[in-house]
Amino acid sequence: MATAVSPAVTPPTRGVQPLQAGEGHSFLLRRLHSLSGIVPIGAFLVEHFVSNFEALKGPVAYAQQVRFLNALPFVRVLEWTFIFLPLLYHAIYGLYIWFRGKSNVVYYPWAGNWMYVAQRWTGMIAFIYIGQHVWRQRFSGVSLPEHPGAAFHKVQMELSNPWILAFYAIAIIATCWHFAYGVWLFSAKWGITPGDKARRKMGYVCAALGIALVAIGLSSLYAFVGPWYKNAPADLTPAQITNGESTSSAPSNEPPASK
Amino acid sequence: MAERTVKFEVKRQSGPDAAVVWDKFELPYHPGMNVISSLREIAANPTTVDGKATTPIAYDSNCLEEVCGSCAMVINGKARMACSALIDNLEQPVKLQPLTKFPIVRDLMVDRSVLFENLKRVKAWVPLDGTYDLGSGPRILPQVQEENYPLSRCISCTICMEVCPQFNESTGFVGAATIAQVKLFNQHPTGKVLKEERLHALMGDGGIQECGYAQNCVQACPKQLPLTRAISDIGRDVIIQSVKDLFTT
Ligand code: SF4
Ligand code: FES
Repeated sequence: MATAVSPAVTPPTRGVQPLQAGEGHSFLLRRLHSLSGIVPIGAFLVEHFVSNFEALKGPVAYAQQVRFLNALPFVRVLEWTFIFLPLLYHAIYGLYIWFRGKSNVVYYPWAGNWMYVAQRWTGMIAFIYIGQHVWRQRFSGVSLPEHPGAAFHKVQMELSNPWILAFYAIAIIATCWHFAYGVWLFSAKWGITPGDKARRKMGYVCAALGIALVAIGLSSLYAFVGPWYKNAPADLTPAQITNGESTSSAPSNEPPASK
Repeated sequence: MAERTVKFEVKRQSGPDAAVVWDKFELPYHPGMNVISSLREIAANPTTVDGKATTPIAYDSNCLEEVCGSCAMVINGKARMACSALIDNLEQPVKLQPLTKFPIVRDLMVDRSVLFENLKRVKAWVPLDGTYDLGSGPRILPQVQEENYPLSRCISCTICMEVCPQFNESTGFVGAATIAQVKLFNQHPTGKVLKEERLHALMGDGGIQECGYAQNCVQACPKQLPLTRAISDIGRDVIIQSVKDLFTT
Protein backbone atom coordinates (compact mmCIF):
# COMPACT_ATOMS: atom_id res chain seq x y z
CA MET A 1 0.00 0.00 0.00
CA ALA A 2 1.97 2.95 -1.24
CA THR A 3 -0.11 5.50 0.61
CA ALA A 4 0.40 3.75 3.93
CA VAL A 5 3.94 5.07 4.06
CA SER A 6 4.56 8.31 5.92
CA PRO A 7 5.48 11.30 3.80
CA ALA A 8 8.97 12.70 4.28
CA VAL A 9 9.53 13.75 7.88
CA THR A 10 10.51 17.37 8.43
CA PRO A 11 10.28 18.08 12.13
CA PRO A 12 10.10 21.70 13.24
CA THR A 13 13.48 22.84 14.49
CA ARG A 14 12.14 24.63 17.56
CA GLY A 15 9.28 24.25 19.99
CA VAL A 16 7.45 21.10 21.00
CA GLN A 17 8.74 18.19 18.98
CA PRO A 18 6.37 15.82 17.20
CA LEU A 19 5.26 12.42 18.49
CA GLN A 20 8.02 9.82 18.66
CA ALA A 21 5.74 7.29 16.99
CA GLY A 22 6.23 3.83 18.47
CA GLU A 23 9.50 4.72 20.23
CA GLY A 24 10.53 4.76 23.88
CA HIS A 25 9.19 3.22 27.09
CA SER A 26 7.18 6.05 28.58
CA PHE A 27 3.90 4.33 27.67
CA LEU A 28 4.69 1.33 29.84
CA LEU A 29 6.12 3.41 32.70
CA ARG A 30 3.22 5.83 32.71
CA ARG A 31 0.55 3.15 32.55
CA LEU A 32 2.35 1.26 35.32
CA HIS A 33 2.23 4.43 37.39
CA SER A 34 -1.50 4.75 36.77
CA LEU A 35 -2.19 1.09 37.54
CA SER A 36 0.03 0.96 40.63
CA GLY A 37 -2.07 3.74 42.16
CA ILE A 38 -5.12 1.44 42.03
CA VAL A 39 -3.49 -1.92 42.72
CA PRO A 40 -1.62 -2.50 44.88
CA ILE A 41 -1.39 0.96 46.49
CA GLY A 42 -5.08 1.91 46.44
CA ALA A 43 -6.09 -1.56 47.56
CA PHE A 44 -3.62 -1.36 50.42
CA LEU A 45 -4.88 2.09 51.36
CA VAL A 46 -8.40 0.73 51.75
CA GLU A 47 -7.12 -2.26 53.74
CA HIS A 48 -5.05 0.04 55.96
CA PHE A 49 -8.01 2.31 56.68
CA VAL A 50 -10.27 -0.64 57.45
CA SER A 51 -7.60 -2.18 59.73
CA ASN A 52 -7.08 1.06 61.58
CA PHE A 53 -10.81 1.35 62.10
CA GLU A 54 -10.32 -1.50 64.60
CA ALA A 55 -8.76 1.12 66.88
CA LEU A 56 -12.30 2.22 67.68
CA LYS A 57 -12.74 -1.10 69.48
CA GLY A 58 -9.76 -0.42 71.70
CA PRO A 59 -6.12 -1.42 72.20
CA VAL A 60 -6.79 -5.16 72.34
CA ALA A 61 -8.77 -5.35 69.12
CA TYR A 62 -6.16 -3.12 67.48
CA ALA A 63 -3.36 -5.39 68.66
CA GLN A 64 -5.24 -8.43 67.35
CA GLN A 65 -5.50 -6.78 63.93
CA VAL A 66 -1.79 -5.91 63.89
CA ARG A 67 -0.91 -9.44 64.94
CA PHE A 68 -3.19 -10.96 62.30
CA LEU A 69 -1.62 -8.89 59.51
CA ASN A 70 1.90 -9.68 60.64
CA ALA A 71 1.08 -13.38 60.75
CA LEU A 72 0.22 -13.50 57.03
CA PRO A 73 2.44 -15.91 55.11
CA PHE A 74 5.44 -14.20 53.48
CA VAL A 75 4.37 -10.98 55.15
CA ARG A 76 7.74 -9.25 54.73
CA VAL A 77 7.85 -10.18 51.04
CA LEU A 78 4.26 -8.98 50.63
CA GLU A 79 5.10 -5.76 52.42
CA TRP A 80 7.98 -4.94 50.10
CA THR A 81 6.51 -6.08 46.79
CA PHE A 82 2.98 -4.81 47.29
CA ILE A 83 3.49 -1.77 49.46
CA PHE A 84 6.93 -0.18 49.73
CA LEU A 85 8.29 -0.68 46.23
CA PRO A 86 5.08 0.28 44.38
CA LEU A 87 4.71 3.31 46.67
CA LEU A 88 8.25 4.44 45.95
CA TYR A 89 7.75 3.96 42.23
CA HIS A 90 4.41 5.77 42.21
CA ALA A 91 5.82 8.66 44.25
CA ILE A 92 9.04 9.16 42.32
CA TYR A 93 7.52 8.73 38.88
CA GLY A 94 4.67 10.96 40.02
CA LEU A 95 7.11 13.74 40.85
CA TYR A 96 8.69 13.28 37.44
CA ILE A 97 5.25 13.67 35.84
CA TRP A 98 4.59 16.78 37.90
CA PHE A 99 7.83 18.48 36.93
CA ARG A 100 7.21 17.90 33.25
CA GLY A 101 3.71 19.43 33.26
CA LYS A 102 3.31 23.19 32.88
CA SER A 103 0.26 24.17 34.87
CA ASN A 104 -1.78 27.05 33.44
CA VAL A 105 -4.67 27.14 35.87
CA VAL A 106 -4.08 30.88 36.37
CA TYR A 107 -5.11 31.50 32.77
CA TYR A 108 -7.63 28.69 32.42
CA PRO A 109 -9.28 28.32 35.83
CA TRP A 110 -11.55 25.44 34.89
CA ALA A 111 -12.66 22.60 37.17
CA GLY A 112 -10.67 19.84 35.47
CA ASN A 113 -7.60 22.04 35.40
CA TRP A 114 -7.90 22.69 39.15
CA MET A 115 -8.23 18.98 39.77
CA TYR A 116 -5.09 18.43 37.68
CA VAL A 117 -3.19 20.76 40.01
CA ALA A 118 -4.84 19.34 43.14
CA GLN A 119 -3.85 15.81 42.11
CA ARG A 120 -0.21 16.91 42.14
CA TRP A 121 -0.31 18.76 45.47
CA THR A 122 -2.30 16.08 47.27
CA GLY A 123 0.15 13.52 45.94
CA MET A 124 3.01 15.58 47.33
CA ILE A 125 1.38 15.87 50.76
CA ALA A 126 0.66 12.14 50.75
CA PHE A 127 4.28 11.38 49.80
CA ILE A 128 5.78 13.49 52.59
CA TYR A 129 3.29 12.17 55.10
CA ILE A 130 3.69 8.52 54.14
CA GLY A 131 7.47 8.88 54.28
CA GLN A 132 7.43 10.10 57.86
CA HIS A 133 4.58 7.75 58.84
CA VAL A 134 6.39 4.65 57.57
CA TRP A 135 9.63 5.76 59.16
CA ARG A 136 8.17 6.66 62.55
CA GLN A 137 5.66 3.83 62.86
CA ARG A 138 7.25 0.96 60.98
CA PHE A 139 11.03 1.42 61.04
CA SER A 140 11.79 3.30 64.25
CA GLY A 141 10.75 2.98 67.89
CA VAL A 142 9.14 -0.24 69.14
CA SER A 143 9.00 -2.76 66.30
CA LEU A 144 5.31 -3.51 65.90
CA PRO A 145 5.62 -6.78 63.96
CA GLU A 146 7.31 -8.25 67.06
CA HIS A 147 5.21 -6.30 69.57
CA PRO A 148 1.68 -5.98 68.17
CA GLY A 149 0.50 -5.23 71.69
CA ALA A 150 2.36 -1.93 71.65
CA ALA A 151 0.64 -0.65 68.51
CA PHE A 152 -2.12 1.39 70.11
CA HIS A 153 0.20 3.04 72.60
CA LYS A 154 2.75 3.89 69.92
CA VAL A 155 0.19 5.64 67.73
CA GLN A 156 -1.37 7.35 70.74
CA MET A 157 2.01 8.76 71.79
CA GLU A 158 2.60 10.02 68.27
CA LEU A 159 -0.78 11.73 68.09
CA SER A 160 -0.41 13.35 71.51
CA ASN A 161 1.47 16.12 69.71
CA PRO A 162 -1.23 18.44 68.31
CA TRP A 163 0.95 19.37 65.31
CA ILE A 164 1.36 15.74 64.37
CA LEU A 165 -2.37 15.19 64.88
CA ALA A 166 -3.17 18.07 62.52
CA PHE A 167 -0.65 16.73 60.02
CA TYR A 168 -2.32 13.29 60.16
CA ALA A 169 -5.77 14.81 59.61
CA ILE A 170 -4.61 16.89 56.64
CA ALA A 171 -2.71 13.97 55.17
CA ILE A 172 -5.73 11.66 55.50
CA ILE A 173 -7.85 14.13 53.56
CA ALA A 174 -5.17 14.72 50.92
CA THR A 175 -4.48 11.02 50.46
CA CYS A 176 -8.16 10.12 50.14
CA TRP A 177 -8.63 12.96 47.65
CA HIS A 178 -5.66 11.75 45.64
CA PHE A 179 -6.94 8.18 45.64
CA ALA A 180 -10.57 9.01 44.87
CA TYR A 181 -9.70 11.33 41.99
CA GLY A 182 -7.06 8.82 40.94
CA VAL A 183 -9.78 6.19 40.51
CA TRP A 184 -11.77 8.67 38.44
CA LEU A 185 -8.72 9.48 36.29
CA PHE A 186 -7.93 5.82 35.90
CA SER A 187 -11.40 5.01 34.57
CA ALA A 188 -11.27 8.00 32.23
CA LYS A 189 -7.80 7.28 30.85
CA TRP A 190 -8.19 3.54 30.49
CA GLY A 191 -11.45 3.96 28.60
CA ILE A 192 -13.72 2.53 31.29
CA THR A 193 -15.83 5.71 31.37
CA PRO A 194 -15.49 7.29 27.90
CA GLY A 195 -18.84 9.09 27.81
CA ASP A 196 -19.54 12.41 29.51
CA LYS A 197 -22.43 10.93 31.45
CA ALA A 198 -20.44 7.92 32.55
CA ARG A 199 -17.65 10.19 33.75
CA ARG A 200 -20.09 12.37 35.66
CA LYS A 201 -21.61 9.33 37.39
CA MET A 202 -18.15 8.02 38.14
CA GLY A 203 -17.44 11.41 39.67
CA TYR A 204 -20.25 10.88 42.19
CA VAL A 205 -19.06 7.36 42.94
CA CYS A 206 -15.49 8.55 43.53
CA ALA A 207 -16.64 11.48 45.65
CA ALA A 208 -18.63 9.06 47.82
CA LEU A 209 -15.61 6.76 48.04
CA GLY A 210 -13.36 9.62 49.07
CA ILE A 211 -15.77 10.95 51.68
CA ALA A 212 -16.29 7.47 53.13
CA LEU A 213 -12.55 6.93 53.42
CA VAL A 214 -12.01 10.32 55.04
CA ALA A 215 -14.78 9.52 57.53
CA ILE A 216 -13.19 6.16 58.37
CA GLY A 217 -9.74 7.71 58.65
CA LEU A 218 -10.73 10.63 60.84
CA SER A 219 -12.83 8.51 63.17
CA SER A 220 -9.90 6.12 63.62
CA LEU A 221 -7.78 9.14 64.59
CA TYR A 222 -10.41 10.03 67.16
CA ALA A 223 -10.11 6.60 68.77
CA PHE A 224 -6.52 7.46 69.74
CA VAL A 225 -7.06 10.99 70.98
CA GLY A 226 -10.66 10.89 72.24
CA PRO A 227 -11.71 10.09 75.81
CA TRP A 228 -12.33 6.35 75.33
CA TYR A 229 -8.88 4.82 75.58
CA LYS A 230 -6.81 7.38 77.41
CA ASN A 231 -3.43 6.10 78.62
CA ALA A 232 -3.47 2.81 76.75
CA PRO A 233 -0.97 0.26 78.13
CA ALA A 234 2.55 0.51 76.65
CA ASP A 235 2.44 -3.14 75.61
CA LEU A 236 0.16 -6.15 75.85
CA THR A 237 1.40 -9.70 76.37
CA PRO A 238 0.47 -12.30 73.72
CA ALA A 239 -1.90 -13.85 76.27
CA GLN A 240 -3.64 -10.54 76.84
CA ILE A 241 -4.09 -10.06 73.10
CA THR A 242 -5.46 -13.59 72.71
CA ASN A 243 -7.76 -13.48 75.71
CA GLY A 244 -8.89 -9.99 74.95
CA GLU A 245 -8.13 -8.51 78.40
CA SER A 246 -6.41 -5.23 78.91
CA THR A 247 -4.25 -4.13 81.83
CA SER A 248 -5.50 -0.61 81.29
CA SER A 249 -6.56 1.00 84.55
CA ALA A 250 -10.28 0.63 83.91
CA PRO A 251 -11.23 3.06 81.12
CA SER A 252 -13.19 5.98 82.49
CA ASN A 253 -15.85 6.02 79.78
CA GLU A 254 -17.13 2.84 78.24
CA PRO A 255 -16.68 3.14 74.46
CA PRO A 256 -19.85 2.66 72.45
CA ALA A 257 -18.07 0.25 70.12
CA SER A 258 -16.95 -2.31 72.72
CA LYS A 259 -19.58 -4.88 73.48
CA MET B 1 -19.23 64.13 22.06
CA ALA B 2 -16.09 62.08 21.95
CA GLU B 3 -16.07 59.37 19.34
CA ARG B 4 -16.26 55.85 20.78
CA THR B 5 -12.98 53.99 20.26
CA VAL B 6 -11.46 50.58 20.84
CA LYS B 7 -8.00 50.17 22.38
CA PHE B 8 -5.58 47.40 21.51
CA GLU B 9 -2.31 46.20 22.97
CA VAL B 10 -0.36 43.88 20.75
CA LYS B 11 2.67 41.80 21.66
CA ARG B 12 5.09 42.05 18.75
CA GLN B 13 8.33 40.53 17.69
CA SER B 14 9.85 41.29 14.29
CA GLY B 15 11.38 37.82 14.00
CA PRO B 16 11.90 34.56 15.92
CA ASP B 17 14.78 35.97 17.96
CA ALA B 18 13.88 39.65 17.97
CA ALA B 19 13.07 41.61 21.12
CA VAL B 20 9.47 41.70 22.35
CA VAL B 21 7.63 45.02 22.22
CA TRP B 22 4.05 45.91 23.10
CA ASP B 23 2.43 48.33 20.65
CA LYS B 24 -0.76 50.20 21.50
CA PHE B 25 -3.38 51.07 18.92
CA GLU B 26 -6.72 52.82 18.98
CA LEU B 27 -9.46 52.45 16.38
CA PRO B 28 -12.86 54.12 15.95
CA TYR B 29 -15.60 51.76 17.11
CA HIS B 30 -18.13 50.38 14.69
CA PRO B 31 -20.68 47.68 15.27
CA GLY B 32 -19.79 44.05 14.52
CA MET B 33 -16.03 44.53 14.45
CA ASN B 34 -13.89 41.57 15.44
CA VAL B 35 -10.20 41.04 16.13
CA ILE B 36 -9.25 40.19 12.54
CA SER B 37 -11.19 43.11 11.06
CA SER B 38 -9.41 45.34 13.58
CA LEU B 39 -6.01 43.99 12.60
CA ARG B 40 -6.87 44.76 9.00
CA GLU B 41 -7.83 48.30 9.89
CA ILE B 42 -4.56 48.71 11.75
CA ALA B 43 -2.73 47.41 8.67
CA ALA B 44 -4.43 50.10 6.58
CA ASN B 45 -2.90 52.74 8.82
CA PRO B 46 -0.24 51.24 11.05
CA THR B 47 0.24 54.04 13.55
CA THR B 48 0.45 53.50 17.29
CA VAL B 49 -1.45 55.63 19.81
CA ASP B 50 1.58 57.85 20.32
CA GLY B 51 1.57 58.63 16.61
CA LYS B 52 4.57 56.46 15.78
CA ALA B 53 4.43 54.86 12.31
CA THR B 54 5.05 51.12 12.47
CA THR B 55 4.76 48.02 10.29
CA PRO B 56 1.43 46.26 9.85
CA ILE B 57 0.95 43.46 12.37
CA ALA B 58 1.72 40.03 10.97
CA TYR B 59 -0.95 37.41 11.68
CA ASP B 60 -2.54 34.36 10.07
CA SER B 61 -6.10 34.28 8.85
CA ASN B 62 -8.00 33.08 5.88
CA CYS B 63 -11.66 32.08 5.99
CA LEU B 64 -12.91 34.72 8.47
CA GLU B 65 -15.69 32.34 9.52
CA GLU B 66 -13.99 29.97 11.96
CA VAL B 67 -13.50 27.07 9.60
CA CYS B 68 -9.90 27.31 8.43
CA GLY B 69 -8.23 27.26 11.83
CA SER B 70 -5.46 29.69 10.99
CA CYS B 71 -6.28 32.70 13.18
CA ALA B 72 -5.80 31.20 16.67
CA MET B 73 -4.12 33.62 19.08
CA VAL B 74 -4.18 34.56 22.74
CA ILE B 75 -6.85 37.23 23.22
CA ASN B 76 -7.10 38.76 26.68
CA GLY B 77 -5.19 35.84 28.10
CA LYS B 78 -7.22 33.08 26.46
CA ALA B 79 -6.43 31.14 23.30
CA ARG B 80 -9.25 31.51 20.79
CA MET B 81 -10.05 32.19 17.16
CA ALA B 82 -9.55 35.85 16.31
CA CYS B 83 -12.08 35.98 13.47
CA SER B 84 -14.94 34.98 15.76
CA ALA B 85 -13.79 37.16 18.66
CA LEU B 86 -16.24 40.05 18.55
CA ILE B 87 -14.98 43.29 20.03
CA ASP B 88 -18.38 43.82 21.66
CA ASN B 89 -17.73 40.79 23.85
CA LEU B 90 -14.17 41.69 24.82
CA GLU B 91 -12.82 43.70 27.69
CA GLN B 92 -10.66 46.68 26.73
CA PRO B 93 -7.87 47.23 26.06
CA VAL B 94 -7.97 44.12 23.88
CA LYS B 95 -4.68 42.34 24.48
CA LEU B 96 -3.38 40.28 21.58
CA GLN B 97 -0.53 37.81 21.94
CA PRO B 98 0.71 34.98 19.75
CA LEU B 99 0.09 31.39 20.87
CA THR B 100 2.67 30.62 23.55
CA LYS B 101 3.56 27.00 22.81
CA PHE B 102 4.68 27.36 19.21
CA PRO B 103 7.77 28.96 17.68
CA ILE B 104 7.18 32.60 16.75
CA VAL B 105 7.49 33.55 13.12
CA ARG B 106 6.65 37.21 13.53
CA ASP B 107 4.19 39.23 15.67
CA LEU B 108 1.06 37.09 16.01
CA MET B 109 2.21 34.46 13.51
CA VAL B 110 3.47 31.14 14.86
CA ASP B 111 4.74 27.94 13.30
CA ARG B 112 2.21 25.21 14.03
CA SER B 113 3.68 22.58 11.74
CA VAL B 114 4.07 20.20 14.71
CA LEU B 115 0.36 19.37 14.38
CA PHE B 116 0.70 18.52 10.71
CA GLU B 117 3.76 16.44 11.54
CA ASN B 118 1.85 14.60 14.29
CA LEU B 119 -1.04 13.88 11.93
CA LYS B 120 1.45 12.37 9.49
CA ARG B 121 3.03 10.26 12.19
CA VAL B 122 -0.27 8.68 13.14
CA LYS B 123 -1.26 8.27 9.47
CA ALA B 124 -4.40 10.32 9.83
CA TRP B 125 -5.76 9.50 6.41
CA VAL B 126 -7.68 6.85 4.46
CA PRO B 127 -5.13 4.93 2.40
CA LEU B 128 -6.40 5.00 -1.18
CA ASP B 129 -4.10 5.78 -4.06
CA GLY B 130 -6.83 6.12 -6.68
CA THR B 131 -4.95 4.16 -9.35
CA TYR B 132 -7.87 1.86 -10.03
CA ASP B 133 -11.60 1.84 -9.52
CA LEU B 134 -12.53 0.20 -6.23
CA GLY B 135 -16.24 0.49 -6.82
CA SER B 136 -18.49 2.16 -4.30
CA GLY B 137 -17.09 2.53 -0.80
CA PRO B 138 -18.21 0.45 2.15
CA ARG B 139 -21.38 1.45 3.94
CA ILE B 140 -21.00 3.55 7.04
CA LEU B 141 -23.77 3.00 9.57
CA PRO B 142 -25.66 6.14 10.53
CA GLN B 143 -24.68 5.62 14.17
CA VAL B 144 -21.02 5.68 13.18
CA GLN B 145 -21.60 8.73 10.98
CA GLU B 146 -23.11 10.51 13.95
CA GLU B 147 -20.03 9.73 15.99
CA ASN B 148 -17.59 10.62 13.24
CA TYR B 149 -19.04 13.89 12.07
CA PRO B 150 -18.13 15.89 15.19
CA LEU B 151 -14.58 14.53 14.97
CA SER B 152 -14.31 15.56 11.34
CA ARG B 153 -15.02 19.19 12.29
CA CYS B 154 -11.47 19.73 13.59
CA ILE B 155 -9.94 22.80 11.95
CA SER B 156 -6.36 22.14 13.14
CA CYS B 157 -6.26 25.41 15.02
CA THR B 158 -4.00 23.90 17.77
CA ILE B 159 -5.95 25.61 20.55
CA CYS B 160 -6.43 22.27 22.32
CA MET B 161 -2.63 21.92 22.39
CA GLU B 162 -2.00 25.51 23.45
CA VAL B 163 -4.25 25.18 26.52
CA CYS B 164 -2.99 21.72 27.53
CA PRO B 165 -0.62 21.72 30.54
CA GLN B 166 0.94 18.52 29.23
CA PHE B 167 1.70 19.90 25.75
CA ASN B 168 5.20 21.31 26.19
CA GLU B 169 8.79 20.76 25.23
CA SER B 170 9.58 18.31 28.00
CA THR B 171 6.72 15.89 27.32
CA GLY B 172 6.48 16.30 23.54
CA PHE B 173 2.82 15.34 23.97
CA VAL B 174 1.01 14.76 20.71
CA GLY B 175 -2.09 16.71 21.81
CA ALA B 176 -5.83 16.09 21.70
CA ALA B 177 -6.46 16.96 18.05
CA THR B 178 -4.26 14.17 16.72
CA ILE B 179 -5.79 11.61 19.09
CA ALA B 180 -9.27 12.65 17.93
CA GLN B 181 -8.21 12.15 14.30
CA VAL B 182 -6.89 8.69 15.16
CA LYS B 183 -10.35 7.84 16.43
CA LEU B 184 -11.97 9.28 13.31
CA PHE B 185 -9.80 7.32 10.89
CA ASN B 186 -9.86 4.13 12.95
CA GLN B 187 -13.64 4.18 12.70
CA HIS B 188 -13.62 4.59 8.96
CA PRO B 189 -14.29 1.24 7.23
CA THR B 190 -11.36 1.71 4.86
CA GLY B 191 -9.22 3.87 7.14
CA LYS B 192 -9.19 1.21 9.83
CA VAL B 193 -6.77 -0.90 7.83
CA LEU B 194 -4.10 1.26 9.50
CA LYS B 195 -5.66 1.02 12.95
CA GLU B 196 -2.85 -1.01 14.55
CA GLU B 197 -0.19 1.27 13.11
CA ARG B 198 -1.95 4.32 14.51
CA LEU B 199 -2.31 2.75 17.94
CA HIS B 200 1.35 1.73 17.92
CA ALA B 201 2.34 5.26 16.98
CA LEU B 202 0.38 6.62 19.94
CA MET B 203 2.30 4.32 22.31
CA GLY B 204 5.52 6.15 21.53
CA ASP B 205 7.12 8.84 23.67
CA GLY B 206 4.83 11.86 23.70
CA GLY B 207 1.91 9.54 22.99
CA ILE B 208 -1.52 9.25 24.57
CA GLN B 209 -0.07 8.29 27.97
CA GLU B 210 1.08 11.88 28.50
CA CYS B 211 -2.53 13.05 28.82
CA GLY B 212 -3.13 14.27 32.37
CA TYR B 213 -6.87 14.65 31.83
CA ALA B 214 -6.99 18.30 32.84
CA GLN B 215 -9.75 18.54 30.19
CA ASN B 216 -8.80 22.02 29.04
CA CYS B 217 -8.86 20.85 25.42
CA VAL B 218 -12.55 20.10 25.42
CA GLN B 219 -13.32 23.40 27.17
CA ALA B 220 -11.35 25.49 24.71
CA CYS B 221 -11.96 23.74 21.37
CA PRO B 222 -13.80 26.24 19.14
CA LYS B 223 -15.45 23.42 17.21
CA GLN B 224 -16.62 21.51 20.31
CA LEU B 225 -14.93 18.26 19.41
CA PRO B 226 -15.62 15.50 21.96
CA LEU B 227 -11.92 15.36 22.76
CA THR B 228 -12.01 13.82 26.24
CA ARG B 229 -14.24 11.08 24.89
CA ALA B 230 -11.82 10.42 22.02
CA ILE B 231 -8.86 10.28 24.41
CA SER B 232 -10.72 7.83 26.63
CA ASP B 233 -11.77 5.58 23.72
CA ILE B 234 -8.35 5.61 22.10
CA GLY B 235 -6.73 5.16 25.52
CA ARG B 236 -8.63 1.89 25.84
CA ASP B 237 -7.78 0.80 22.29
CA VAL B 238 -4.09 1.49 22.85
CA ILE B 239 -4.06 -0.52 26.09
CA ILE B 240 -5.88 -3.44 24.46
CA GLN B 241 -3.42 -3.28 21.57
CA SER B 242 -0.45 -3.31 23.94
CA VAL B 243 -1.82 -6.36 25.77
CA LYS B 244 -2.40 -8.08 22.41
CA ASP B 245 1.17 -7.27 21.42
CA LEU B 246 2.40 -8.86 24.63
CA PHE B 247 0.94 -12.22 23.62
CA THR B 248 1.21 -12.16 19.86
CA THR B 249 4.52 -10.56 18.97
S1 SF4 C 1 -9.58 19.58 18.21
FE1 SF4 C 1 -10.57 21.60 18.39
S2 SF4 C 1 -9.04 22.86 19.44
FE2 SF4 C 1 -7.96 21.06 18.68
S3 SF4 C 1 -7.14 21.63 16.70
FE3 SF4 C 1 -9.13 20.68 16.31
S4 SF4 C 1 -10.62 22.36 16.30
FE4 SF4 C 1 -8.74 23.16 17.22
S1 FES D 1 -9.74 33.06 9.75
FE1 FES D 1 -10.31 30.98 9.46
S2 FES D 1 -10.73 30.39 11.49
FE2 FES D 1 -10.38 32.48 11.74
